[in-house]
Amino acid sequence: MPAMTKVKGLATAASFAATLLVGGVTYASAEEVTLTMAVPDWPPTRIMKKFFDEQYKPKSGNTVKLDVDFIPWPDFYTRVNASLTSGEKKYNFIVSDSQWLGAFVEGGYFRKINDLIDADPELKATMESMHPAVLNAYSTYPNSTPNYYGFPQFPDVLVTYGRKDVLCNVDEQTAFKAKYNEKLPCTGEEIDAMDWNTFEHVGEFFQRKKGDKLAGQVLDDDFYGIAYQAGKGYDFSTSSVHTFVWQHGGGIWDETKAPTGHAEGVVNSPKSIEGMEHFLKLLKFMPPVVKTGTMDIFVSDQLFREGKVAMNIDWIGLAEASLDPKTSKVADKLVFGLAPGLRGADGKVNRTSQIGGQPFVLTTWTTPEQIKEAVGFVKWWLSPDIQHQFAAGGGQSAIKSVYSDPKYASYRPWDRAWANSLDWQKDMWHVPQFFELLTEQQDQYDLAITGKQDAKTTLDNIAKFQEDLLKNDGLIQ
Amino acid sequence: MTAVSSTLPTPRFTTVVAHNWKLAIAVAVVVSAVSMAGLPAAVSFWVVGATAALVAAAFTVNAYRRHYFGALLVAPAIAVLFVMNIFPLLWSLGLSFFAYQANQQTIRFVGLGNYVRILTNDLAAHATWGALINTAMFVVFTVSAQMIVGFLLAILFAKQFPLRKYLLILVLTPMMLSVVASGVFFTYYYDPTFGILSYVINSISGNQFILMSNKVGAVAGIVFADAWMWSPFVMLLVLAGLVSVPKYLYEAAAIDRISSWRQFWMITFPYIRGLLMLALLFRTIEAFKLADLVILLTKGGNDTLTISYHLIRIANEQNKTSEGAAISYLMLFMVIVLTNLYLYLANRRTQGA
Repeated sequence: MPAMTKVKGLATAASFAATLLVGGVTYASAEEVTLTMAVPDWPPTRIMKKFFDEQYKPKSGNTVKLDVDFIPWPDFYTRVNASLTSGEKKYNFIVSDSQWLGAFVEGGYFRKINDLIDADPELKATMESMHPAVLNAYSTYPNSTPNYYGFPQFPDVLVTYGRKDVLCNVDEQTAFKAKYNEKLPCTGEEIDAMDWNTFEHVGEFFQRKKGDKLAGQVLDDDFYGIAYQAGKGYDFSTSSVHTFVWQHGGGIWDETKAPTGHAEGVVNSPKSIEGMEHFLKLLKFMPPVVKTGTMDIFVSDQLFREGKVAMNIDWIGLAEASLDPKTSKVADKLVFGLAPGLRGADGKVNRTSQIGGQPFVLTTWTTPEQIKEAVGFVKWWLSPDIQHQFAAGGGQSAIKSVYSDPKYASYRPWDRAWANSLDWQKDMWHVPQFFELLTEQQDQYDLAITGKQDAKTTLDNIAKFQEDLLKNDGLIQ
Repeated sequence: MTAVSSTLPTPRFTTVVAHNWKLAIAVAVVVSAVSMAGLPAAVSFWVVGATAALVAAAFTVNAYRRHYFGALLVAPAIAVLFVMNIFPLLWSLGLSFFAYQANQQTIRFVGLGNYVRILTNDLAAHATWGALINTAMFVVFTVSAQMIVGFLLAILFAKQFPLRKYLLILVLTPMMLSVVASGVFFTYYYDPTFGILSYVINSISGNQFILMSNKVGAVAGIVFADAWMWSPFVMLLVLAGLVSVPKYLYEAAAIDRISSWRQFWMITFPYIRGLLMLALLFRTIEAFKLADLVILLTKGGNDTLTISYHLIRIANEQNKTSEGAAISYLMLFMVIVLTNLYLYLANRRTQGA
């Protein structure tokens, strides 16, 4: 790996120089503190920076500067990973996807924050006011133990994006009722009540060819009912497959049961296979790009904004662009609701879902002075007033008092689905091996999504791989 | 002016003079070893750096005093080459014999373990061989497409016709675009909903056409994009050969009424053969490292994972640094073998002619 080593050597040299420089400056003027932060470049982090510059007054009386590196999403992991493993020690604060925690905690880069929480009653109260699903997903390693590493920066869930003009059209409503003997979901409440069967019907019902009629208009291009991430990159099919597997009562390898829990027999259990088959069944009603294995969250979002689908399930983090007429052809036709779930025999809907969103974490080389300011910043960020402003500006909050406030749901059209989604959220693994688990799984899912193998073979292969890998690393006995 | 070899006597090993490079090396080795053993890594890094500078300075003074000006002139280039290329190369060779992950603080000697793993382990080797076979396939297809298209374009542009200058600039544009821009462009071009390709075929056949939904289509898509970008490069080289052919040879051939086919083989081809070989060599090495277009267009889906992309995933994403080093050495070995085979064939032809 000559190129990488080269970069690494250079980075090391550069970091030493940087450490010397930064060190010198910090000692020269004690009251100016700079926090360097690595964040993905999208609205939730841009808003944070804006609020900070406009409003933040540190209580310590120091001058605090927030130096933010905005990194495009597709590059984000690679850049953060390279920065951490090269030892350049550039960032004090990193927005981290929750799955990365184990890898970077074990590497000695992410700082445990239990001592900070215990030392600061105000911070402790803030952390305790957080929704437990969010806290577990964003903060804990090992998963769901009281070992805390992160503060929520932007919590996120999957919601259903819908097109009112199509869904609420009287002719379509009548035809749908006649065909499936149920109401075509049109309002937010109706979408909230939707299960996968109805979602599938919407998919089947709205498959239209060029020249067909849609809501009274003749189409100049093909139209599709539903879109949902099923792409090979990053976690763009894992998020949806996990959701289905969990709802059907199947499972993924559960790190909280290590080392006695297994992958073999869990990952490929009959219930898991059933869940995956259910997911695969929906693909045929989605836009044709799904057959290429590249329909990720950005592609399905674009299809929705270009007006090619009636419903899309996607992260709230991407929704802001659909509201803006400059980037969305459906800006004035939007309706949002909960992501669909699986209706059980008792009529109750199971909505267990893969959680999205990111915490920010402190790095181990952050100085006590910087930590003091960082905690001050986090408390300010998680204070109800700022969290309300964040939600009003397109973000989300996991603080109970904030999201249960009646005015919360009025900020953005999707906010009405937020509070009710939280209880259902679960996260994938936090172990250091997550990227191997993820890439292998994504490869296998891709084979199933593009029709090269069935659900059983796929999950059998994944189970075998995980059992082998985790056994070698001592996580399975 | 001839450089007079100086009569500067070789100093005794223990004499402290600026040009005693042997003593400098000895001091550097001892000091480095002591500092690495006794000082924290952050400090010993600089100590080792300083001793390297000391050795370099001793060499420089020695060369200067002995009037080795040629050596002094190439020294900066050698130094850069060593720091940026040779040292990392050796370092990563060393790493490939250890179990080391960039995000962990432990390291353990495993000998040839990484090589054995990537070539024989039932899970890891499967991926390696699959990626190698795909890479070989891409090398054959992309290089032959580029050579053929580039060659034909060169033949075309060797002639004079109206607007030639402007068309030439246009044809050269793809080569100058960033790969990412081209990749995104082709993503849209092939997209079944937004893309023009599916739009045209759909309106002719009436069926939904999805290029990238199977291996044949995905490979064709990547090969086309790569050929689009790099055929101009081949063209440029061949064109340089074509315009260097003296006109009088053609005139003489015309007087002798030699067929244009024979003219090509007897006159043109010998002039461009070297450049064709060069183009072939460059493009083969580049094609062997193909990863960017695969990442942009398929993410390795439809069985298009190449060895380079596999390497990126292992070394950069999964942080399996030493396994990555072993794979890159496997790649390096193959490229060297391939290159030398080319050069051997090229030389044999030249000598035979």
